[in-house]
Amino acid sequence: MTSVLSDINQEESHYAPKQAYFNPYEQNGGTVLAVAGEDFSVIASDTRLSQGFSIHTRDLPKTYKLTSSTVLGACGFHGDTLTLTKILQARLKMYEHEHNKKMSTTAVAAMLSTMLYSRRFFPFYVYNIVAGLDEEGKGCVFSFDPVGSYERETYRAGGSASAMLQPLLDNQIGFKNQHGVTKTPLSQEKAIKLVKDVFISAAERDIYTGDAIVLNLITKDGVKVETFPLRRD
Amino acid sequence: MALAGVCGFQQNVAKSPCTLGNGISDNLIDGAIHSSHNFTMPSNFDPVENLKQFTDPKSDVKIQFNHGTTTLAFKFQHGVIVAVDSRATAGSWIASQTVKKVIEINPYLLGTMAGGAADCSYWERVLAKHCRIYELRNKERISVAAASKLLANIVYGYKGMGLSMGTMICGWDKKGPGLYYVDSDGQRMTNPIFSVGSGSLYAYGVLDSGYKWELTVDEAIDLGRRAIYHATHRDAYSGGVVNLYHMKETGWEFISQTDVLDLHYKYQEEKQARR
Amino acid sequence: MTKNKLAPTVTGTSVLGIKFNGGVVIAADMLGSYGSLARYRNLSRVMKVNDSTIIGCGGDYADFQYLQSVIEQRVIDEECLNDGFGYTPRGLYSWMTRILYNRRSQFNPLWNVFLVGGLQDGEPFLGFVDKIGVAYESPTICTGYGAYIANPLLREAYENNPNMTLEEAQKQIERCMKILYYRDARSINKYEVAIVTKDGCIVKPPVQPETNWEIAHLIKGYE
Repeated sequence: MTSVLSDINQEESHYAPKQAYFNPYEQNGGTVLAVAGEDFSVIASDTRLSQGFSIHTRDLPKTYKLTSSTVLGACGFHGDTLTLTKILQARLKMYEHEHNKKMSTTAVAAMLSTMLYSRRFFPFYVYNIVAGLDEEGKGCVFSFDPVGSYERETYRAGGSASAMLQPLLDNQIGFKNQHGVTKTPLSQEKAIKLVKDVFISAAERDIYTGDAIVLNLITKDGVKVETFPLRRD
Repeated sequence: MALAGVCGFQQNVAKSPCTLGNGISDNLIDGAIHSSHNFTMPSNFDPVENLKQFTDPKSDVKIQFNHGTTTLAFKFQHGVIVAVDSRATAGSWIASQTVKKVIEINPYLLGTMAGGAADCSYWERVLAKHCRIYELRNKERISVAAASKLLANIVYGYKGMGLSMGTMICGWDKKGPGLYYVDSDGQRMTNPIFSVGSGSLYAYGVLDSGYKWELTVDEAIDLGRRAIYHATHRDAYSGGVVNLYHMKETGWEFISQTDVLDLHYKYQEEKQARR
Repeated sequence: MTKNKLAPTVTGTSVLGIKFNGGVVIAADMLGSYGSLARYRNLSRVMKVNDSTIIGCGGDYADFQYLQSVIEQRVIDEECLNDGFGYTPRGLYSWMTRILYNRRSQFNPLWNVFLVGGLQDGEPFLGFVDKIGVAYESPTICTGYGAYIANPLLREAYENNPNMTLEEAQKQIERCMKILYYRDARSINKYEVAIVTKDGCIVKPPVQPETNWEIAHLIKGYE
């Protein structure tokens, strides 16, 4: 297979003796973004799955509905994402059968943290963001590093365009380093509008983000999913 | 397949000439499904060697854990002051400015976070479990010395596998205030003053110039805060807010959370007033 | 670390797959390359699993034969139960994803890319799995050089005509296989096509399409 032969350490093949090492990871791109409001949260992702300069598919959302009030966003290496979400679904089902109730968002976050840490020495190369409602019905967002360090926040971008989006959110939602502004609470409409705008900007400059947005709005009535096209180039 | 499953039919009668016949039953998966206490990795796997390539900035796949810190703790006549910054970095990227680097193990024990964020929070959570079990078994609280030794022994078991943590275990037990430094090399020691992390040098400078045992509570709190502030000022890997705790005979108390930006202007004003 | 096989030996090049109205086509040429040597000229790289599932394979041929034997045995075991259940394309796809991911996690990968095609509850299914466990579904999938050369053509054809007939799909495949033969140095002008429809699935006998090298002499400057 030609592509297989060519992905063996191509960069160094000019001068170094060819050493075919096996790389168990891959960067499949994609961006997720989550925002928590007073009684809702929004989590969105793009739908592009790429590898190097080619696009595998334009229709692969990176958000995964876990319960009626919890949605996970995961991007990085898609093989690990698939495995992680599969195990998560199994663990949630086991919890549901054992306790006869669905797992709370805060509990999902704590469990995900230990699951990620169980692979501390051979990590899941996945950046996770969990969004949902907490036990009091308030919007919540949890962000994770690949080995399970996590924190509750009000907004977070993850994945290939995270370094572009996060500063923008710091400004628009966190009002960081602005003096004399009135910190207005975020409305549902504004959150959704902001998320769309922000993804349009990411698709403009990040080659791994594009094709479409899948937007999940989580309220006490459940999860509402909306898709929205992005540029496909 | 479905019927076979319901009947509990075992398919080892006509097993294929390979080990894959049983499908996905595999310790890599089972470990994650059944418990989070088992660490799963391939056999004969050297985690340090094999993960080196992913810290290479040229690599497409970069697995960077959250790092970087200034933390300090010191004993004085009224207990222990614990002060930390709140920045987490992954390479040159500031991953967070709002990290809780003081880990509340129980009402009488605090741990600090330096090095790998996940390593610290995970193992100090494990420590919390062990401390609780100790309490239930012995009907008394665990000593700071014992708690810190538990942690040191646990992480020593993983020596050479790439754990990264430098933590201070602070508490109050029968002997009074306790302060121990434990790190992922397995080192454990006690001293009246510690500072850990990339900004620790700057913190030590401030701490040493203002420290004495006879400090009042207010003086001690101010010293801790100043030391962290100056570290965040000079160390790029430290910043955010200063979180401050006071360990007393009655257990720890959260004192304050102050943005270093506000501190900067406050200290500058003081300097101007002194002139 | 024990030395696992970390490079392929005899390899197959691109595999193409496309959905059409009522089924799926998967095609792959029949060359087994040994590095740059065109060593075997008659290797079958598509496989019929059962009456609703086919797979196509690129990459290491030995690993493909190994997984082929496992799948064949499992299909036999399945049929012995005679309970009316069998592998569905999505089921096989999911299973293969797990096998390939697990092997990569043991640092002992099956050095392949697979396309799984078939009819799932009357709907066409086409999925991709590679040696590290990346998997996705798409109406058109091409691997290897096909990802660069053939996939854009198939995607365009599919977008212009999402309800193409079997004949139209086959025509697109033939066109792409021909173009790949012109440009992919590890390909051969002989390929097999596997087709799934509601009437079952077949691997058609190898075809050797007519080629035309009239314009080849115009391509200069690369010597």
